[in-house]
Amino acid sequence: MTTRSHSLPFAQPNFRLFLQALIWVGTAFGIGLLATTWPAVPRDFPEAWNLGLRDPLDAFQRWVVANRASHPVFAFGFTPLSSWIDHALRFFEQALLRPGWPALLLLFALLGYLAAGVRLSLFCAGSLLLAGLFGLWEPTMQTLALMLATLLLAILIGVPLGMAAAASDRLDRLMRPVLDAMQTIPAFVYLVPVMLLFGIARVPAVIATLIYALPPMIRLTNLGIRQSNQAAVEAAQSFGATRWQILRGVQLPLALPSILMGVNQTIMMALGMVVIAAMIGAGGLGREVLIALQRLNVGRALEAGLIIVCVAMLLDRLSAALTRIDFAAPAGTQRQDLLSGWVAGAVAARLSTERAYYFQAYGRLINATLLFLAFLLLDALIFQFGNFPETWRLGLREPANAVVIWARDNLYFVTGPLSDGIVIYLLNPSRDLLLNHLPWPAIILAVAALAYTSGGLRLALGSATGMALIGLLGMWTPAMETLSQVILMVLLTVAIAVPLGLLAAQSPRFSAVLRPILDLLQTIPAFVYLVPVIMLFNIGRVPGLIAAVLYALPPGIRLIQLGIETVPSVTVEAAESFGSSRWQTLIKVQIPQALPSIMLAINQIIVMVLAMVIIAGLVGGAGLGIEAVRGLARSETGRGIEAGLAIMILAIILDRITQAWAKSKP
Amino acid sequence: MNRITPNMMPPKIVCRDVWKIFGRAPRRIFKALASESMQHESMEGHIIAVRGVSFEVRTGETFVVMGLSGSGKSTLIRCISRITEPTHGEILVDGQDVLRMRPLELRELRRKRVSMVFQHFGLFPHRRVIDNVAYGLEVRGVPRPKRRERATEVLALVGLEGWEYHFPRQLSGGMQQRVGLARALAVDPDILLFDEPFSALDPLIRHDMQGELQRLQATLQKTSIFITHDFTEALKLGDKIAVMRHGQIVQVGTPQELVINPINDYVGAFVRDAPRGRVLTAQAVMVSCPLTPTSTDRPTISAQTYLDDLLPLMAAYGDPVAVTDDDGLTIGHVDRAGVLKALIRE
Repeated sequence: MTTRSHSLPFAQPNFRLFLQALIWVGTAFGIGLLATTWPAVPRDFPEAWNLGLRDPLDAFQRWVVANRASHPVFAFGFTPLSSWIDHALRFFEQALLRPGWPALLLLFALLGYLAAGVRLSLFCAGSLLLAGLFGLWEPTMQTLALMLATLLLAILIGVPLGMAAAASDRLDRLMRPVLDAMQTIPAFVYLVPVMLLFGIARVPAVIATLIYALPPMIRLTNLGIRQSNQAAVEAAQSFGATRWQILRGVQLPLALPSILMGVNQTIMMALGMVVIAAMIGAGGLGREVLIALQRLNVGRALEAGLIIVCVAMLLDRLSAALTRIDFAAPAGTQRQDLLSGWVAGAVAARLSTERAYYFQAYGRLINATLLFLAFLLLDALIFQFGNFPETWRLGLREPANAVVIWARDNLYFVTGPLSDGIVIYLLNPSRDLLLNHLPWPAIILAVAALAYTSGGLRLALGSATGMALIGLLGMWTPAMETLSQVILMVLLTVAIAVPLGLLAAQSPRFSAVLRPILDLLQTIPAFVYLVPVIMLFNIGRVPGLIAAVLYALPPGIRLIQLGIETVPSVTVEAAESFGSSRWQTLIKVQIPQALPSIMLAINQIIVMVLAMVIIAGLVGGAGLGIEAVRGLARSETGRGIEAGLAIMILAIILDRITQAWAKSKP
Repeated sequence: MNRITPNMMPPKIVCRDVWKIFGRAPRRIFKALASESMQHESMEGHIIAVRGVSFEVRTGETFVVMGLSGSGKSTLIRCISRITEPTHGEILVDGQDVLRMRPLELRELRRKRVSMVFQHFGLFPHRRVIDNVAYGLEVRGVPRPKRRERATEVLALVGLEGWEYHFPRQLSGGMQQRVGLARALAVDPDILLFDEPFSALDPLIRHDMQGELQRLQATLQKTSIFITHDFTEALKLGDKIAVMRHGQIVQVGTPQELVINPINDYVGAFVRDAPRGRVLTAQAVMVSCPLTPTSTDRPTISAQTYLDDLLPLMAAYGDPVAVTDDDGLTIGHVDRAGVLKALIRE
């Protein structure tokens, strides 16, 4: 499904256009006919056609619960796997919590210093200090341990899989849609099955995080190996190197920067799952946010959110520094700073040039390690710092809570009508359209028509089948509720993102102002700003809508801005040389050329809105989200999986349609 | 056959009717072509890179394959050690068919007998110069001290002492290709394959490297196949030159044979700008005579003297100049008219 797969025998564009118009008119007529002639009640998908997956799934769950201890699949499969992962997790947790807190500060300060110098070093240590001052030391370490365990698994699984995918085109082709799906499907979909198979505790949280964070590891390993210098590989071949010798001695070292980029991406993706993973027992900072959400404690959510942002930035910078390490740097070009010289320098001075190389090249790392070990020893023998002192506290809670409560009480004249307006004029009509005005075949027809015009017959058939399947799962009503919200959220987001993106591309100053706001919105977990939004707008569909728009805005704006900015300057100059005004250049040259990128932005917005619409279900957002959350909370496995499948189908249909649409543009 | 002594030994490398077709079903296309049941237009997206090429290379000879880009010459050289798998044909190295070798034999061939030098050097950017050079020995399983010793030796041979512990990208292009050459020489192969080794270099450096290669070749006497798109380079380095076009060899011959007698306009176009004085020898313009003793008052030349070297002599002493054989007997004469006629482009 790359481009439109139907090729018309008529090459004339006019005729094609005419045919497309014909299809649209026909579809519109069909939908109208269905809408008017269909018996008024029921417009809903017939309940009698329900596949009835729920009961067998629930039965399966009961069977799993009853047999978890005894059945070989669990006794020899999932249970030992769980316990290994749990061991790894515990190991990392212990490693981070056992040494006294100053040792950790030193460790991160050293890492930051090695990676990028004094500023990052101060930032790393400062973040940890802030976590301690907020009273979040332990949750922070738990989250870090979760990240490390996930990363370890991602490397253990992702690198070999990436290598295999690089070696075999067939495997690559097979794996690609699976990886796509892992990234598009909202995490809620697999929370229930993962929980069922791995039990409750932190292991399913690791697995769920892993499912989401693994794809970049595989993709970038694959890419790195495939892109490794073909000449070098050929040379190795010509010397009679075996396949394994080529892989190990040439391709993997050359792919290392790309693999390390995968490490960076995986960490960032995993951090995006912190709060969601906390729903199935990940603990850590995510749990703090969830508790704050339940108690509507803005300050607490803000503190935990800030630390999550800090941890994200810290891990991002540290792992990004890994990708910049120049393993082939000549000796003597190493940076000279506080860590150079010392022990490693002294050792290097006493060795022959050939051996001194390693002490010169890795001198700073060696010195840092020695320094850290020395401190650990001192700590264990003399200081014994232990936990972060309880008496050192700094709170953002009270002021933050005070501000939001003030706003809630005094800004009602704005928020009240706004909220009501959104419900009465936007949310209700769109829901009514899908649920009460249009009968289900008309909706399926409309989706199929949309799919046909963007991606051709196969996509149309696939989409129609998917929609019907949602009905067969018995999820038609909540799915239409969700779809109506998604459409609304996407329209709102696009309406805001397009002008902002265009403006940011035109004005560097505006872009500079916008950038830190977008950064913050993108790194802070959506749950965190959900809290004040709920406080201002009350539980219901409105806070979900606002949160989703806020969540999907940054990538949307960025992609649109990027699209405009990457239009080759030659064409812009050419337009200007003909005396076209700035506005004309924008409309006639830049936007048409940036169209694929704008389409991509819309695609991205849809994927993000869908991820958020589920989360909105947590705060009374109705639709599939609430079904999935109920399935999770009450352990109604059947219901959760049905809702999850429906979400997945909806996500894939929307993703494919917009992707095909983006690709069909020249 | 002027620079090598004709030898009666069997040829070192023989290619017979080698084909390489790229595409989804190369074998089917080849069969269809062989039975002539297919038009050349309906290739179904297949590309014939090498089309029934045959040639022989003798021990110690430098065989240059010359052609424009897309003529299939790089594919041809890759077929010889099966870096690219030929679709059809026979490639004999020391009488042994490479195409029938099992993977292990092929690996042995690549490890010990055939080395290759690449157009874009193909160096390993993550290994130091010395480990690049030692790579061939490393995959062969030679222990580290030994292979490093050998690498140091070869690096000295190509004039790179003192650069052992640098990384490739710290070296200039010419030096990088010296590393590539050293890497190929380190395994002490019988056969060297050069795939446009100097085409990525600046003209001056290229000239140096050609000289360097001539110098090495004079002492090492390796059997070489050398790919180039530069006719001057081909003339300079080749004992024999094959001109390739559309995957086929158009003409094979010594530089002199090509210059004197290009088979068609295509070869003629290359030959037109050739420095004829540096390619043609006295033999080509000599008027033979029965063996006679040589008079001693005038200078004589050998049949292998280039016309460029002959001109100053003629300018000083006038014609005709006697051409003598190894025993000092006159075998013919060269006169001004003959030389000038040969030097003028037709």
